[in-house]
Amino acid sequence: MEQLFILTLDASNFILAIVLVAMGLVIIFGLMNVINMAHGELFLLGAYTVVLVERAGGHFWFGLLLAPLVVGLVGLVVEELVVRHVYHRFLDTILATWGLSIAIKQAVVIAFGPASHTVTNPIATSIEIFGTPYPVYRLFIMAVALLVIAVTFWLFFRTAFGLAARGVIANRDMAACLGINTRRLDRATFAYGAALAGLAGAVMAPIMSVDPQMGLGFLIPAFLAILVGGAGHLAGPLLGAAAIGGTDTLAANLWSPVVAQIVVFTMAIVVIRLFPRGLAGRWFGR
Amino acid sequence: MLTVQGLEAGYRGSRVLNGIDLEVAEGGIAALLGRNGMGKTTLMRALMGLVPVAAGRIVFQGRDIAGLRPYAISNLGIAYVPQGREIFADFTVEENLKLGLVGKPGGAGTDPASAYRHFPILAERRGQKAGTLSGGQQQQLAIARALVGRPRLLLLDEPSEGIQPSIVLQIAEILRRVAAEDGLTVLLVEQNVEIVLSLAADCAFIEKGRVVARHAAAELARDRDILHRYLAV
Ligand SMILES: Nc1ncnc2c1ncn2[C@@H]1O[C@H](COP(=O)(O)OP(=O)(O)O)[C@@H](O)[C@H]1O
Ligand SMILES: [Mg+2]
Repeated sequence: MEQLFILTLDASNFILAIVLVAMGLVIIFGLMNVINMAHGELFLLGAYTVVLVERAGGHFWFGLLLAPLVVGLVGLVVEELVVRHVYHRFLDTILATWGLSIAIKQAVVIAFGPASHTVTNPIATSIEIFGTPYPVYRLFIMAVALLVIAVTFWLFFRTAFGLAARGVIANRDMAACLGINTRRLDRATFAYGAALAGLAGAVMAPIMSVDPQMGLGFLIPAFLAILVGGAGHLAGPLLGAAAIGGTDTLAANLWSPVVAQIVVFTMAIVVIRLFPRGLAGRWFGR
Repeated sequence: MLTVQGLEAGYRGSRVLNGIDLEVAEGGIAALLGRNGMGKTTLMRALMGLVPVAAGRIVFQGRDIAGLRPYAISNLGIAYVPQGREIFADFTVEENLKLGLVGKPGGAGTDPASAYRHFPILAERRGQKAGTLSGGQQQQLAIARALVGRPRLLLLDEPSEGIQPSIVLQIAEILRRVAAEDGLTVLLVEQNVEIVLSLAADCAFIEKGRVVARHAAAELARDRDILHRYLAV
């Protein structure tokens, strides 16, 4: 029983971390039809923002607040300089953002070196859950992810901005003819998606080794989660992450992490075969 | 209110509009007629900024709007009801109407309820998905969505297409009333001659991307041969 509870906590932890990364990807893809290959590097920039703040003598919490702002701003610049010129050419967006990801990664190596950095864990205590110690910071990560999910759903389903954004997703030309400034929405949405990646990187930094490759470990499961969950609805990454993260944690515990990866990929292929538009596409119609 | 001079526009590799000259006077309903494929929809899309203007001028209320982006044209007071309606099928009726407001300066806070006065059926269906409405109701929604933003000029592309005749007459009646009450100017593209003759005062005929004739509706009602000349296939 206790074992099961801890397992559930571990799975939730992984799932919510994936959601944090995948949500930004899905928002950008939904509005602009851009697959942002540089999303992992935005995650990276979030983590390095915290490293930089700590080096300068600042506190972790300040870094955590600063990271989404900095990376959101980077997103704004990237959108203006690169993405907006190619966003109507699907393949070019993949190439352009891929090139960007390489550039950002190299810039990080030049600025911080290829070695890994550590970020202090701001809540380095554990609490006992059914007699097993569990790190409090992991609970904090889950709380942040849940908050981000709630805010994002609120933003897209309860505000005028969200209505306009969903209108642009459904029919860009018609939305523009109704007076909606699609350029401004693109910019805002890309920046928001980038900010989410930056926040994810910053909040995960204390429990990871911060190095130029760290984005990859979340980007692949995030992409898988989107494929499995479907990109047509904001609930897609939630369902997909639950499927991927749940399967991974369970299989890793029953057998081994290597087997878990094989199981996850197999599961992903089966789901994509059965539901080409993802689980959310199946459940929400559309 | 709207003056189009020497307008040329089209799609990649094919010029559709070959120098459109058109004058729409303030107030009332003006009609644009022509056979299929003559460029009526392309003209509407060019006026809205959806199709790039290659040459010519589009002067709306004294301002050249050629080259402006669609949202800016919309916010200057031109609304568009496209052929095929293009309502947001997965959104509720109320959300569709709100989408007609969110982009307007200060519009996000405005109540879409004003639209329900002219279109009571939409009030009944406000919580329903727009895609589940009948064709006539969808057309009313598309018109209401255009009107909530309080435009000065309404571009209406084939509103009777695919709709039962009885409903068409009902919509025509609503249009006439709105135009009169709100001082709205309408540029109507329509194949249904009866609708045109009952609504419009002025008719322009388009052929191969040019306006080739203009007649008062009363004149056309007397002499149906003119209509026949420009519309027969
Ligand atoms: N998206 C498009 N791309 C290329 N050609 C088009 C497009 N839309 C319309 N056309 C062409 O432009 C011409 C005029 O079409 P249109 O403006 O829709 O005419 P109408 O509304 O008078 O029936 C037609 O020959 C049509 O084939
Ligand atoms: Mg047409």
